[in-house]
Amino acid sequence: MTVAANNMGIPEDAMRRLAEMRPGQATSLFTSDLSVNEFLLVREAGFRPLGLVLGSSIYHVGFQMGRWSRNQELQTLSQAMYHARELAMTRMEYEADQLGADGIVAVRLDIEFKEFGSDLAEFIAIGTAVKADEPPPGGGEWRDNRRRPFTSDLSGQDFWTLIQAGYAPVGMVMGTCVYHVAHQRFWQALGNVGQNVEIPQFTEALYDARELAMSRMQAEAEQLAAEGIVGVQLLSLPHRWGGHTTEFFAIGTAVRPLRPDHVIDRPQLVLPLSDR
Amino acid sequence: MADWDGRGLPPAASARLARFKAGGVRTSLLAVNGAVGAESVGFTPIGEVMGGAVQHLGWRGYGCGMYGGGSFGTARTVTSGQGRGYAGYAPYVKALYHGYDSALRRMVAEAQAMDADGVLGVRLSVDHLDQGNREFVALGTAVRASSRRRPRRPFTTDLAGQDFAKLLYAGWVPASIAIGISVAIRHDDWRTRQQSSSLFSGNVEVTGYTELVQFARADARQRFGERIQRAGADGAIVSSMGLDLRAIEPSDNHRDHLAEATVIGSAIARFHRGRSAPTDALTILPLRRA
Repeated sequence: MTVAANNMGIPEDAMRRLAEMRPGQATSLFTSDLSVNEFLLVREAGFRPLGLVLGSSIYHVGFQMGRWSRNQELQTLSQAMYHARELAMTRMEYEADQLGADGIVAVRLDIEFKEFGSDLAEFIAIGTAVKADEPPPGGGEWRDNRRRPFTSDLSGQDFWTLIQAGYAPVGMVMGTCVYHVAHQRFWQALGNVGQNVEIPQFTEALYDARELAMSRMQAEAEQLAAEGIVGVQLLSLPHRWGGHTTEFFAIGTAVRPLRPDHVIDRPQLVLPLSDR
Repeated sequence: MADWDGRGLPPAASARLARFKAGGVRTSLLAVNGAVGAESVGFTPIGEVMGGAVQHLGWRGYGCGMYGGGSFGTARTVTSGQGRGYAGYAPYVKALYHGYDSALRRMVAEAQAMDADGVLGVRLSVDHLDQGNREFVALGTAVRASSRRRPRRPFTTDLAGQDFAKLLYAGWVPASIAIGISVAIRHDDWRTRQQSSSLFSGNVEVTGYTELVQFARADARQRFGERIQRAGADGAIVSSMGLDLRAIEPSDNHRDHLAEATVIGSAIARFHRGRSAPTDALTILPLRRA
């Protein structure tokens, strides 16, 4: 980074601040889940962290079995994943709203299946609520089209680059689909032994499942009147359901433009003289 | 060696500090990048410092209190932070705090004996020894600032040298390590059992466990915030958040669930007076194969 202040002044100023600190003095306190890099880059992008926000839910995922030889979506399970994630995200957004935030950055969505009970999983959404110093260039506000704080799973560095490029995050968009892949029929499986051959129903199942997940994600982005989705991750997670049932999960951050051009400064090219 | 009474530093540590003052060998646990980072903002590593404590955990607490206060058929979550230290597993949390605080205090005492201004890269670890004993260790590198002013007491941070340098360039200084711990306990009532284990309950949120983890985390964050305020800092960077959820069976057909939430981070204070950040990020693209 380039440094504006005189280097020699730094330890002096820092020590003076520590010497002046009084326990319990009134401050605008914040906590943040960001790493140091993210914290500093989010500050540079013109946002200040307000606090760490968190929403969680321990959910019992209902039981559903797929028909042995059919490719099908397991709707009960899909609904469970949607509902549980929504509970966690809504609680996190509520905390951010309480803090008066413009948005939440660096959101992490985790699922942890528990060892006790049966089919119990904890869904957690953690992020850092931020407030902008200035309204966005071109007027308007940072919140989304339903006046809720924006959410973004982009890291601090990606967030900074996005703002530099003239885009603003609108919200995290997700599409999920729990799919049961049909088992092969007995004779088909026997006939495939030792053969180099494509298994059509498996291929079709994966195509269908991914398509469902991605189209649901796109539908959410359209509801937010976004121009595009960045940072998309397409995951296939078996969780605890065994080999033939998988959750296809597509997640990304929907963005809208802040200005008509999207030109960024050309980065400096450097050749590091080290291996890492 | 005479028996040590637990006050101040153990004789072995005092002897080591005496040797350090007599000789001139500096030690450091910082990585090369970390040491260079610290030097670039005017801080010199002077020695490694350690604080340790072995805490015995005997009686842990009062238990779930069954239905105490909840409406008929539903239990109540009891966190260690309520009831002024007489509820739930408060004695256990108090013991954990005592372990961490003792280890950190002794580490800072060693740093003070070396005339240091702060400790960087603190690693906190907890090891289970047998028979309910736990060893708390805090290990870090003491640094000295090239400055005329001295802080009231040495600052501590779990951030590495590189992160420390970045913060200082941006006008922030770490003040102390803050720890928030809370243990919440909740009895498994009828509704919880029904929601969590029945084949027929379908997609449903298990309200009992959800409340348990929410309360535990909220209480831990509350304690964390209190510590930051006690230090007089402006904010904190959280470095780890953990939750451990387990079941215990105090008696036949009586099952409780316990959630232990921990939040650890560095409290930081701002020393730059301007409104916006004094640094400017430079985008670079390294020309090597990733």
